[in-house]
Amino acid sequence: MAQLPYIEPEHADPVTKEVYDKAVARFEMVLNIFKITGNAPEIAEKMWEIFFEILQDGQISWYQKELLILKSTKMGECLYCVTQHEAVSARLGVTKEKQEDIVGVEYRTSPHYTPGEVAILDLCSHVVLDPETIPDNVWAVVKKHYDDGQIVEIVATIGAYLQVSKFGDAMGVELEPVWNGHQPVLFNIEPPKSKAVQRHLDHFLSHSN
Amino acid sequence: MAATKILTKENVDAEVKEVFNRAEIHFGSVPNLVRVLASNPSMCTSITNFLIQSMGPGRIEWGFKELIILKTLRVMKSFYGYGAHEKMALDLGVSTDKIGDISNSIWKSSAHFSPAEKVVFELVEQIGLDANDVSDDLWERLRANWDNGQLLEINAVITTFIMIGRVGDTLGVSDPILFTKALN
Repeated sequence: MAQLPYIEPEHADPVTKEVYDKAVARFEMVLNIFKITGNAPEIAEKMWEIFFEILQDGQISWYQKELLILKSTKMGECLYCVTQHEAVSARLGVTKEKQEDIVGVEYRTSPHYTPGEVAILDLCSHVVLDPETIPDNVWAVVKKHYDDGQIVEIVATIGAYLQVSKFGDAMGVELEPVWNGHQPVLFNIEPPKSKAVQRHLDHFLSHSN
Repeated sequence: MAATKILTKENVDAEVKEVFNRAEIHFGSVPNLVRVLASNPSMCTSITNFLIQSMGPGRIEWGFKELIILKTLRVMKSFYGYGAHEKMALDLGVSTDKIGDISNSIWKSSAHFSPAEKVVFELVEQIGLDANDVSDDLWERLRANWDNGQLLEINAVITTFIMIGRVGDTLGVSDPILFTKALN
């Protein structure tokens, strides 16, 4: 259960309404994670600016960013983000087999991943676990494939999804009914380690079937 | 050494120069984090705008916000900007006792914090441990002390500085001299 109220579009102030309109234009609906930020419109306005920038082609492709989002939010065990981005990445062409191989280090030997993708997923794992211990060889491979502007976008995407996943999870933001029936891919390959996430997953599945 | 180039006003385009100017007005100088992000103008702009919004007066007192940031950086074992936020807290009138007492579990028995402040530090620690497992009981105590807008802001500050700490540490930047101007 969400711990703060969702601010529905009809009750949103003009600043929040503008954010909601942008969300609908981009994502066809106002997700619960947007609605909860209606409790502080000035924060909603600036925070979502980052995600509107990320969720499109930039100096790296949206497709590549979706791989980073899946990897970082799976490692952070965010059921809400993983579920949404299994669907978004699939729309962009990431196959189920490719999604499955992102779990653990399967992607390193998977035929579905390019060397450039493997490089940024390795970097992503280190950023999530401990950025102080990123080995030189990980940076060397990343820099072989990407320039400075792209590296900034890669790191910013990982950081932003660490932010939004913990932001939503801490407030108990729920998956929208539209996801009922969605069959989890990543959590099917590797169940959550957190008992709390397992409870959320069980609850979601019981309402999905 | 930073992982990517640290740019200056002389080698950025007009859009990023404008971001640098806003950052300089707000922070006293252009943070090295902003200069590193400048290789990607759209990310630099959106993240800097959010950072400026996050660091200033809001629904909760700025001084307390700085304590939340310090606690978050400690919980996440993040080094980026720690010294600058200590200085910021001091400049805003936060006592050295409070800054010291946010360490490990000392805050729990500290006489320098109110129950309202302590419940927020409990939230910071829980988010660091498992954001999916913030109990209803903790939320009840949070709601007893703070309104919905304040709680949204508190949660945003915590998670934003998880992001900023991770990005800063990953790109290998430090910013020990922020806020060199007197506060208004």
